[in-house]
Amino acid sequence: MIKLEQAWHDALRQIKTWAQINSPWAIHFNSGSCNGCDIEILATLTPRYDLERFGIKLQGSPRHADILICTGPVTRQARERLRRVYEQMPEPKFVIAVGSCAISGGAFQGCYNIVGHIDQVIPVDVYVLGCPPRPEAIIDGVVKLLQKLELSKDERQRAKTNE
Amino acid sequence: MNALLALLLFPGGLFVMLNGLAYEWVDRKLVARMQNRLGPRWFQPLADVAKLLGKEEIVPRGADARWFNGLPIVALAAVLTAALYVPLLGILPSVGFAGDLIVTIYLLSVLTLCLALAGSLTSDRFGLLGATRTLTQLFSYEAPFLLALLGPAVVAGSWQIGTILNYASGQWLIVTQPIGFFIAVIGLMGKLELPPFDAPEAHTEIVAGALTEYSGRGLALFRLAKNVALVVGLTLIAGFYLGGIANAFEFVGKTLALLGVIVVLQVLFARLRIDQLVGMWWRVGALLALAQWLLLIGWKLWSAN
Ligand code: SF4
Repeated sequence: MIKLEQAWHDALRQIKTWAQINSPWAIHFNSGSCNGCDIEILATLTPRYDLERFGIKLQGSPRHADILICTGPVTRQARERLRRVYEQMPEPKFVIAVGSCAISGGAFQGCYNIVGHIDQVIPVDVYVLGCPPRPEAIIDGVVKLLQKLELSKDERQRAKTNE
Repeated sequence: MNALLALLLFPGGLFVMLNGLAYEWVDRKLVARMQNRLGPRWFQPLADVAKLLGKEEIVPRGADARWFNGLPIVALAAVLTAALYVPLLGILPSVGFAGDLIVTIYLLSVLTLCLALAGSLTSDRFGLLGATRTLTQLFSYEAPFLLALLGPAVVAGSWQIGTILNYASGQWLIVTQPIGFFIAVIGLMGKLELPPFDAPEAHTEIVAGALTEYSGRGLALFRLAKNVALVVGLTLIAGFYLGGIANAFEFVGKTLALLGVIVVLQVLFARLRIDQLVGMWWRVGALLALAQWLLLIGWKLWSAN
Protein backbone atom coordinates (compact mmCIF):
# COMPACT_ATOMS: atom_id res chain seq x y z
CA MET A 1 0.00 0.00 0.00
CA ILE A 2 2.79 2.36 0.95
CA LYS A 3 4.58 1.45 -2.25
CA LEU A 4 1.50 2.30 -4.29
CA GLU A 5 1.23 5.66 -2.60
CA GLN A 6 4.92 6.29 -3.24
CA ALA A 7 4.51 5.45 -6.92
CA TRP A 8 1.51 7.75 -7.13
CA HIS A 9 3.44 10.61 -5.55
CA ASP A 10 6.39 10.03 -7.85
CA ALA A 11 4.15 10.05 -10.89
CA LEU A 12 2.49 13.27 -9.75
CA ARG A 13 5.83 14.92 -9.17
CA GLN A 14 7.07 13.83 -12.57
CA ILE A 15 4.00 15.31 -14.23
CA LYS A 16 4.52 18.50 -12.26
CA THR A 17 8.14 18.85 -13.32
CA TRP A 18 7.28 18.06 -16.92
CA ALA A 19 4.58 20.71 -16.93
CA GLN A 20 6.86 23.23 -15.26
CA ILE A 21 9.58 22.71 -17.83
CA ASN A 22 7.18 22.92 -20.73
CA SER A 23 5.17 25.93 -19.72
CA PRO A 24 7.30 28.65 -18.16
CA TRP A 25 5.41 31.93 -18.07
CA ALA A 26 7.47 35.01 -17.57
CA ILE A 27 7.04 38.50 -16.24
CA HIS A 28 9.46 41.27 -16.97
CA PHE A 29 10.48 43.90 -14.44
CA ASN A 30 12.80 46.83 -14.93
CA SER A 31 14.26 48.05 -11.68
CA GLY A 32 16.34 50.85 -13.12
CA SER A 33 17.92 49.67 -16.34
CA CYS A 34 18.86 51.99 -19.18
CA ASN A 35 16.22 50.25 -21.34
CA GLY A 36 18.81 48.57 -23.53
CA CYS A 37 18.16 45.22 -21.92
CA ASP A 38 14.39 45.72 -22.05
CA ILE A 39 14.48 46.31 -25.76
CA GLU A 40 16.43 43.10 -26.21
CA ILE A 41 13.87 41.21 -24.12
CA LEU A 42 11.08 42.59 -26.26
CA ALA A 43 13.04 41.57 -29.35
CA THR A 44 13.22 38.07 -27.89
CA LEU A 45 9.45 37.93 -27.77
CA THR A 46 8.93 39.00 -31.38
CA PRO A 47 7.97 36.50 -34.10
CA ARG A 48 11.57 36.23 -35.25
CA TYR A 49 12.56 34.28 -32.14
CA ASP A 50 9.03 33.14 -31.22
CA LEU A 51 9.32 31.93 -27.65
CA GLU A 52 5.83 30.47 -27.75
CA ARG A 53 7.25 27.36 -29.38
CA PHE A 54 8.89 26.57 -26.03
CA GLY A 55 5.70 27.46 -24.21
CA ILE A 56 7.17 30.70 -22.88
CA LYS A 57 4.58 33.42 -22.57
CA LEU A 58 4.88 36.94 -21.26
CA GLN A 59 2.30 37.59 -18.57
CA GLY A 60 1.19 40.89 -17.18
CA SER A 61 0.29 39.73 -13.70
CA PRO A 62 2.94 38.46 -11.25
CA ARG A 63 0.33 36.01 -10.00
CA HIS A 64 0.40 34.17 -13.33
CA ALA A 65 4.16 34.08 -13.77
CA ASP A 66 6.78 31.46 -12.97
CA ILE A 67 9.87 33.34 -14.06
CA LEU A 68 10.77 36.90 -13.13
CA ILE A 69 13.05 38.41 -15.75
CA CYS A 70 14.88 41.34 -14.14
CA THR A 71 16.89 43.99 -15.86
CA GLY A 72 19.07 46.76 -14.57
CA PRO A 73 20.53 47.66 -11.20
CA VAL A 74 18.15 48.12 -8.28
CA THR A 75 17.51 51.73 -7.46
CA ARG A 76 16.48 52.77 -4.00
CA GLN A 77 12.96 53.50 -5.21
CA ALA A 78 12.56 50.24 -7.11
CA ARG A 79 13.80 48.00 -4.29
CA GLU A 80 10.47 47.71 -2.52
CA ARG A 81 8.60 47.21 -5.80
CA LEU A 82 10.98 44.51 -6.93
CA ARG A 83 10.60 42.68 -3.66
CA ARG A 84 6.84 43.06 -3.78
CA VAL A 85 6.59 41.74 -7.34
CA TYR A 86 8.71 38.79 -6.30
CA GLU A 87 6.56 38.08 -3.28
CA GLN A 88 3.37 38.31 -5.32
CA MET A 89 4.45 35.41 -7.49
CA PRO A 90 3.18 31.97 -6.48
CA GLU A 91 5.60 29.14 -5.73
CA PRO A 92 7.52 27.63 -7.50
CA LYS A 93 9.17 30.77 -8.86
CA PHE A 94 12.49 31.56 -10.48
CA VAL A 95 14.45 34.70 -11.26
CA ILE A 96 16.64 35.48 -14.23
CA ALA A 97 18.91 38.53 -14.06
CA VAL A 98 19.54 39.94 -17.52
CA GLY A 99 22.44 42.26 -18.30
CA SER A 100 25.63 43.34 -16.59
CA CYS A 101 23.82 45.91 -14.47
CA ALA A 102 21.50 43.29 -13.05
CA ILE A 103 24.48 41.12 -12.19
CA SER A 104 26.88 43.61 -10.70
CA GLY A 105 25.47 47.08 -10.98
CA GLY A 106 27.46 47.55 -14.17
CA ALA A 107 27.65 51.06 -15.48
CA PHE A 108 25.65 52.35 -12.54
CA GLN A 109 27.94 50.93 -9.87
CA GLY A 110 28.51 53.36 -7.05
CA CYS A 111 25.78 55.77 -8.04
CA TYR A 112 24.16 57.59 -5.13
CA ASN A 113 20.69 56.25 -5.95
CA ILE A 114 21.59 52.60 -6.43
CA VAL A 115 21.13 49.84 -3.87
CA GLY A 116 23.15 47.33 -5.86
CA HIS A 117 22.50 44.32 -8.03
CA ILE A 118 19.47 42.09 -8.17
CA ASP A 119 20.70 39.33 -5.88
CA GLN A 120 21.16 41.76 -3.05
CA VAL A 121 17.38 42.08 -3.00
CA ILE A 122 15.93 38.78 -4.21
CA PRO A 123 17.50 35.36 -4.91
CA VAL A 124 18.55 34.86 -8.53
CA ASP A 125 18.65 31.50 -10.34
CA VAL A 126 20.26 32.36 -13.67
CA TYR A 127 22.52 35.24 -14.75
CA VAL A 128 22.68 36.35 -18.39
CA LEU A 129 25.79 38.34 -19.30
CA GLY A 130 26.02 41.17 -21.80
CA CYS A 131 25.41 44.85 -22.18
CA PRO A 132 22.81 44.28 -23.43
CA PRO A 133 22.73 40.52 -24.03
CA ARG A 134 21.50 39.35 -27.42
CA PRO A 135 18.11 37.65 -27.64
CA GLU A 136 19.91 34.35 -28.23
CA ALA A 137 21.67 34.78 -24.91
CA ILE A 138 18.38 35.49 -23.13
CA ILE A 139 16.81 32.38 -24.66
CA ASP A 140 19.90 30.45 -23.59
CA GLY A 141 19.39 31.74 -20.07
CA VAL A 142 15.82 30.50 -19.99
CA VAL A 143 16.86 27.12 -21.39
CA LYS A 144 19.59 26.88 -18.73
CA LEU A 145 16.99 27.49 -16.08
CA LEU A 146 14.78 24.76 -17.49
CA GLN A 147 17.78 22.42 -17.62
CA LYS A 148 18.38 23.19 -13.99
CA LEU A 149 14.85 22.11 -13.19
CA GLU A 150 15.32 18.88 -15.12
CA LEU A 151 18.65 18.32 -13.41
CA SER A 152 17.11 18.65 -10.00
CA LYS A 153 14.64 15.99 -11.10
CA ASP A 154 17.51 13.67 -12.09
CA GLU A 155 19.25 14.33 -8.81
CA ARG A 156 16.15 13.37 -6.93
CA GLN A 157 16.01 10.12 -8.83
CA ARG A 158 19.66 9.40 -8.14
CA ALA A 159 19.13 10.10 -4.47
CA LYS A 160 16.22 7.69 -4.51
CA THR A 161 18.21 4.85 -6.10
CA ASN A 162 20.97 5.39 -3.58
CA GLU A 163 18.57 5.01 -0.69
CA MET B 1 -23.57 3.67 -13.96
CA ASN B 2 -24.23 4.87 -17.47
CA ALA B 3 -25.14 8.28 -16.20
CA LEU B 4 -21.89 8.43 -14.25
CA LEU B 5 -19.93 7.51 -17.35
CA ALA B 6 -21.78 10.16 -19.32
CA LEU B 7 -20.93 12.77 -16.71
CA LEU B 8 -17.29 11.83 -16.24
CA LEU B 9 -16.15 10.62 -19.64
CA PHE B 10 -18.00 11.11 -22.83
CA PRO B 11 -20.22 14.06 -23.32
CA GLY B 12 -19.63 15.47 -19.87
CA GLY B 13 -16.19 15.63 -18.36
CA LEU B 14 -12.95 14.41 -19.76
CA PHE B 15 -13.86 14.41 -23.43
CA VAL B 16 -14.96 18.04 -23.68
CA MET B 17 -12.03 19.22 -21.60
CA LEU B 18 -9.50 17.43 -23.82
CA ASN B 19 -11.40 18.58 -26.86
CA GLY B 20 -11.28 22.14 -25.55
CA LEU B 21 -7.55 21.94 -24.92
CA ALA B 22 -7.00 20.57 -28.42
CA TYR B 23 -9.05 23.41 -29.91
CA GLU B 24 -7.11 25.94 -27.90
CA TRP B 25 -3.95 24.52 -29.43
CA VAL B 26 -5.42 24.74 -32.95
CA ASP B 27 -6.41 28.32 -32.22
CA ARG B 28 -2.99 29.35 -30.92
CA LYS B 29 -1.11 27.46 -33.62
CA LEU B 30 -3.13 28.98 -36.45
CA VAL B 31 -2.74 32.47 -35.00
CA ALA B 32 1.00 31.88 -34.72
CA ARG B 33 1.26 30.63 -38.28
CA MET B 34 -0.62 33.66 -39.56
CA GLN B 35 1.76 35.91 -37.65
CA ASN B 36 4.67 34.09 -39.30
CA ARG B 37 5.68 32.26 -36.14
CA LEU B 38 6.11 28.58 -35.44
CA GLY B 39 3.59 28.45 -32.65
CA PRO B 40 3.21 26.22 -29.60
CA ARG B 41 3.71 22.48 -29.52
CA TRP B 42 0.67 20.23 -29.55
CA PHE B 43 0.67 19.53 -25.83
CA GLN B 44 1.11 23.15 -24.82
CA PRO B 45 -2.39 23.82 -23.40
CA LEU B 46 -2.21 20.56 -21.45
CA ALA B 47 1.17 21.51 -19.99
CA ASP B 48 -0.15 24.96 -19.09
CA VAL B 49 -3.13 23.57 -17.23
CA ALA B 50 -1.07 20.87 -15.49
CA LYS B 51 1.47 23.44 -14.38
CA LEU B 52 -1.17 25.80 -13.07
CA LEU B 53 -2.82 22.97 -11.14
CA GLY B 54 0.50 22.26 -9.43
CA LYS B 55 1.16 25.84 -8.40
CA GLU B 56 0.58 27.63 -5.16
CA GLU B 57 -2.86 29.20 -4.85
CA ILE B 58 -2.70 32.60 -3.25
CA VAL B 59 -5.88 34.04 -1.79
CA PRO B 60 -5.37 37.79 -1.64
CA ARG B 61 -6.05 39.58 1.61
CA GLY B 62 -9.57 40.95 1.79
CA ALA B 63 -11.07 38.33 -0.51
CA ASP B 64 -13.45 35.72 0.85
CA ALA B 65 -11.59 32.43 0.43
CA ARG B 66 -14.76 30.39 -0.07
CA TRP B 67 -15.97 32.57 -2.94
CA PHE B 68 -12.49 32.94 -4.34
CA ASN B 69 -12.00 29.18 -4.56
CA GLY B 70 -15.60 28.33 -5.36
CA LEU B 71 -16.21 30.58 -8.35
CA PRO B 72 -13.88 28.78 -10.79
CA ILE B 73 -15.50 25.48 -9.86
CA VAL B 74 -18.98 26.88 -10.46
CA ALA B 75 -17.86 28.30 -13.80
CA LEU B 76 -16.39 25.01 -14.98
CA ALA B 77 -19.41 23.06 -13.72
CA ALA B 78 -21.79 25.37 -15.58
CA VAL B 79 -20.09 25.00 -18.95
CA LEU B 80 -19.69 21.26 -18.45
CA THR B 81 -23.43 21.06 -17.84
CA ALA B 82 -24.01 23.05 -20.99
CA ALA B 83 -21.90 20.49 -22.87
CA LEU B 84 -24.45 17.81 -21.98
CA TYR B 85 -27.09 19.46 -24.19
CA VAL B 86 -25.11 19.91 -27.40
CA PRO B 87 -24.43 17.21 -30.02
CA LEU B 88 -20.75 16.56 -29.40
CA LEU B 89 -19.27 14.22 -32.03
CA GLY B 90 -22.65 14.27 -33.73
CA ILE B 91 -24.36 12.21 -31.05
CA LEU B 92 -27.67 13.81 -30.21
CA PRO B 93 -27.93 14.79 -26.57
CA SER B 94 -29.94 12.29 -24.57
CA VAL B 95 -31.04 14.68 -21.85
CA GLY B 96 -32.69 17.32 -24.02
CA PHE B 97 -35.98 18.93 -23.08
CA ALA B 98 -38.14 21.66 -24.55
CA GLY B 99 -36.29 24.93 -24.06
CA ASP B 100 -32.84 23.52 -23.45
CA LEU B 101 -31.40 26.00 -25.96
CA ILE B 102 -32.13 28.85 -23.57
CA VAL B 103 -30.69 26.89 -20.66
CA THR B 104 -27.51 26.16 -22.59
CA ILE B 105 -26.99 29.78 -23.56
CA TYR B 106 -27.50 30.93 -20.00
CA LEU B 107 -25.21 28.26 -18.63
CA LEU B 108 -22.57 29.71 -20.92
CA SER B 109 -23.31 33.13 -19.45
CA VAL B 110 -22.75 31.77 -15.95
CA LEU B 111 -19.09 31.47 -16.92
CA THR B 112 -18.95 35.19 -17.72
CA LEU B 113 -20.81 36.09 -14.54
CA CYS B 114 -18.39 34.00 -12.48
CA LEU B 115 -15.49 35.78 -14.16
CA ALA B 116 -16.93 39.16 -13.31
CA LEU B 117 -17.67 38.14 -9.72
CA ALA B 118 -14.15 36.76 -9.37
CA GLY B 119 -12.75 40.06 -10.55
CA SER B 120 -14.85 42.15 -8.22
CA LEU B 121 -14.10 39.91 -5.25
CA THR B 122 -10.67 41.38 -4.68
CA SER B 123 -9.90 44.99 -3.94
CA ASP B 124 -7.38 44.90 -6.76
CA ARG B 125 -8.12 47.74 -9.16
CA PHE B 126 -7.21 45.76 -12.27
CA GLY B 127 -9.53 42.95 -11.29
CA LEU B 128 -12.28 45.46 -10.61
CA LEU B 129 -11.81 47.20 -13.95
CA GLY B 130 -11.74 43.86 -15.69
CA ALA B 131 -14.95 42.87 -13.93
CA THR B 132 -16.81 46.02 -14.98
CA ARG B 133 -15.60 45.60 -18.53
CA THR B 134 -16.60 41.93 -18.55
CA LEU B 135 -20.10 42.83 -17.39
CA THR B 136 -20.40 45.72 -19.85
CA GLN B 137 -19.40 43.41 -22.64
CA LEU B 138 -21.80 40.74 -21.41
CA PHE B 139 -24.70 43.18 -21.56
CA SER B 140 -23.76 44.28 -25.03
CA TYR B 141 -23.28 41.00 -26.86
CA GLU B 142 -25.73 38.84 -24.95
CA ALA B 143 -28.92 40.08 -26.62
CA PRO B 144 -27.67 39.93 -30.24
CA PHE B 145 -26.08 36.54 -29.58
CA LEU B 146 -29.30 35.17 -28.17
CA LEU B 147 -31.31 36.60 -31.07
CA ALA B 148 -28.87 35.12 -33.54
CA LEU B 149 -29.20 31.65 -32.04
CA LEU B 150 -32.97 32.01 -31.82
CA GLY B 151 -33.20 32.55 -35.59
CA PRO B 152 -32.89 28.84 -36.40
CA ALA B 153 -35.17 28.10 -33.44
CA VAL B 154 -37.89 30.28 -34.96
CA VAL B 155 -37.81 28.63 -38.37
CA ALA B 156 -37.66 25.18 -36.78
CA GLY B 157 -40.55 26.09 -34.51
CA SER B 158 -38.92 24.65 -31.42
CA TRP B 159 -36.62 25.70 -28.63
CA GLN B 160 -35.15 22.26 -28.22
CA ILE B 161 -31.64 21.79 -29.57
CA GLY B 162 -32.33 18.29 -30.88
CA THR B 163 -35.37 19.38 -32.89
CA ILE B 164 -33.61 22.40 -34.34
CA LEU B 165 -30.69 20.22 -35.37
CA ASN B 166 -33.02 17.78 -37.09
CA TYR B 167 -34.56 20.68 -38.95
CA ALA B 168 -31.20 22.23 -39.79
CA SER B 169 -29.49 19.11 -41.04
CA GLY B 170 -29.59 18.91 -44.81
CA GLN B 171 -30.16 22.61 -45.31
CA TRP B 172 -27.54 25.19 -44.64
CA LEU B 173 -29.25 27.95 -42.70
CA ILE B 174 -26.21 30.16 -43.26
CA VAL B 175 -27.58 30.72 -46.78
CA THR B 176 -30.96 31.96 -45.62
CA GLN B 177 -29.77 33.67 -42.42
CA PRO B 178 -26.29 35.02 -43.13
CA ILE B 179 -26.68 37.88 -40.66
CA GLY B 180 -27.60 35.53 -37.86
CA PHE B 181 -24.58 33.34 -38.57
CA PHE B 182 -22.22 36.27 -38.61
CA ILE B 183 -23.57 37.72 -35.39
CA ALA B 184 -23.48 34.35 -33.69
CA VAL B 185 -19.81 33.85 -34.58
CA ILE B 186 -18.86 37.33 -33.42
CA GLY B 187 -20.98 36.91 -30.30
CA LEU B 188 -19.09 33.75 -29.47
CA MET B 189 -15.83 35.63 -29.85
CA GLY B 190 -17.14 38.30 -27.51
CA LYS B 191 -18.19 35.66 -25.02
CA LEU B 192 -14.75 34.09 -24.99
CA GLU B 193 -13.00 37.49 -24.96
CA LEU B 194 -10.96 36.65 -28.05
CA PRO B 195 -8.78 39.37 -29.58
CA PRO B 196 -10.87 42.06 -31.16
CA PHE B 197 -13.14 41.83 -28.10
CA ASP B 198 -10.50 41.29 -25.44
CA ALA B 199 -10.89 44.66 -23.74
CA PRO B 200 -11.96 42.90 -20.49
CA GLU B 201 -8.57 41.25 -20.16
CA ALA B 202 -6.45 43.67 -22.15
CA HIS B 203 -2.92 42.68 -21.21
CA THR B 204 -1.41 45.99 -22.12
CA GLU B 205 -3.82 48.08 -20.05
CA ILE B 206 -5.29 46.22 -17.12
CA VAL B 207 -2.80 43.37 -16.61
CA ALA B 208 -5.11 40.38 -16.91
CA GLY B 209 -8.52 41.81 -16.13
CA ALA B 210 -10.75 39.88 -13.80
CA LEU B 211 -8.28 37.03 -13.45
CA THR B 212 -5.37 39.19 -12.30
CA GLU B 213 -5.35 37.82 -8.75
CA TYR B 214 -5.78 34.16 -9.64
CA SER B 215 -2.61 32.14 -9.55
CA GLY B 216 -2.90 28.37 -9.47
CA ARG B 217 -5.92 26.13 -9.60
CA GLY B 218 -8.44 28.93 -10.07
CA LEU B 219 -6.72 30.16 -13.19
CA ALA B 220 -6.45 26.63 -14.57
CA LEU B 221 -10.16 25.98 -14.00
CA PHE B 222 -11.17 29.27 -15.62
CA ARG B 223 -9.01 28.49 -18.63
CA LEU B 224 -10.54 25.04 -18.91
CA ALA B 225 -14.00 26.53 -18.60
CA LYS B 226 -13.30 28.94 -21.44
CA ASN B 227 -12.03 26.10 -23.60
CA VAL B 228 -15.13 24.03 -22.94
CA ALA B 229 -17.30 27.05 -23.70
CA LEU B 230 -15.45 27.39 -27.01
CA VAL B 231 -16.30 23.80 -27.94
CA VAL B 232 -19.93 24.16 -26.89
CA GLY B 233 -20.37 27.42 -28.77
CA LEU B 234 -18.69 26.13 -31.92
CA THR B 235 -20.84 23.00 -31.85
CA LEU B 236 -24.03 25.01 -31.44
CA ILE B 237 -23.26 27.41 -34.27
CA ALA B 238 -21.95 24.70 -36.60
CA GLY B 239 -24.98 22.55 -35.91
CA PHE B 240 -27.49 25.35 -36.42
CA TYR B 241 -26.04 27.21 -39.36
CA LEU B 242 -23.75 24.80 -41.19
CA GLY B 243 -26.23 22.06 -41.99
CA GLY B 244 -26.36 20.06 -38.78
CA ILE B 245 -23.89 17.63 -37.28
CA ALA B 246 -24.62 14.06 -38.28
CA ASN B 247 -21.42 12.23 -37.33
CA ALA B 248 -17.99 12.64 -35.82
CA PHE B 249 -16.37 13.65 -39.12
CA GLU B 250 -18.87 16.41 -39.68
CA PHE B 251 -18.38 17.53 -36.09
CA VAL B 252 -14.62 17.82 -36.41
CA GLY B 253 -14.69 19.29 -39.92
CA LYS B 254 -17.37 21.88 -39.34
CA THR B 255 -16.24 23.07 -35.93
CA LEU B 256 -12.63 23.32 -37.12
CA ALA B 257 -13.70 25.28 -40.18
CA LEU B 258 -15.61 27.64 -37.93
CA LEU B 259 -12.59 27.91 -35.64
CA GLY B 260 -10.55 28.85 -38.71
CA VAL B 261 -12.94 31.73 -39.42
CA ILE B 262 -12.62 32.90 -35.82
CA VAL B 263 -8.82 32.75 -36.02
CA VAL B 264 -8.76 34.86 -39.16
CA LEU B 265 -10.98 37.47 -37.51
CA GLN B 266 -8.72 37.43 -34.45
CA VAL B 267 -5.61 38.08 -36.48
CA LEU B 268 -7.17 40.66 -38.76
CA PHE B 269 -8.58 43.08 -36.20
CA ALA B 270 -7.01 45.07 -33.42
CA ARG B 271 -8.64 45.41 -30.04
CA LEU B 272 -11.75 47.57 -29.84
CA ARG B 273 -12.31 50.00 -27.01
CA ILE B 274 -15.10 49.07 -24.63
CA ASP B 275 -17.31 52.01 -25.69
CA GLN B 276 -16.81 51.14 -29.36
CA LEU B 277 -17.83 47.59 -28.51
CA VAL B 278 -21.06 48.56 -26.81
CA GLY B 279 -21.93 50.96 -29.59
CA MET B 280 -21.23 48.41 -32.26
CA TRP B 281 -23.24 45.65 -30.63
CA TRP B 282 -26.31 47.71 -29.86
CA ARG B 283 -26.38 49.98 -32.90
CA VAL B 284 -25.43 47.42 -35.52
CA GLY B 285 -25.52 43.92 -34.09
CA ALA B 286 -28.74 43.98 -32.14
CA LEU B 287 -30.63 45.93 -34.81
CA LEU B 288 -29.57 43.63 -37.61
CA ALA B 289 -30.35 40.53 -35.58
CA LEU B 290 -33.73 41.94 -34.64
CA ALA B 291 -34.52 42.87 -38.23
CA GLN B 292 -33.69 39.39 -39.41
CA TRP B 293 -35.70 37.90 -36.59
CA LEU B 294 -38.78 39.93 -37.50
CA LEU B 295 -38.33 38.96 -41.13
CA LEU B 296 -38.19 35.31 -40.17
CA ILE B 297 -41.33 35.57 -38.08
CA GLY B 298 -43.07 37.40 -40.92
CA TRP B 299 -42.04 34.71 -43.37
CA LYS B 300 -43.21 32.04 -40.97
CA LEU B 301 -46.65 33.64 -40.58
CA TRP B 302 -46.94 34.26 -44.30
CA SER B 303 -46.04 30.70 -45.23
CA ALA B 304 -48.41 29.35 -42.61
CA ASN B 305 -51.35 31.15 -44.23
S1 SF4 C 1 23.47 45.94 -18.99
FE1 SF4 C 1 23.84 47.57 -20.46
S2 SF4 C 1 21.96 47.65 -21.65
FE2 SF4 C 1 21.50 46.51 -19.80
S3 SF4 C 1 20.71 48.01 -18.39
FE3 SF4 C 1 22.91 47.88 -18.01
S4 SF4 C 1 23.80 49.47 -19.26
FE4 SF4 C 1 21.73 49.16 -20.03
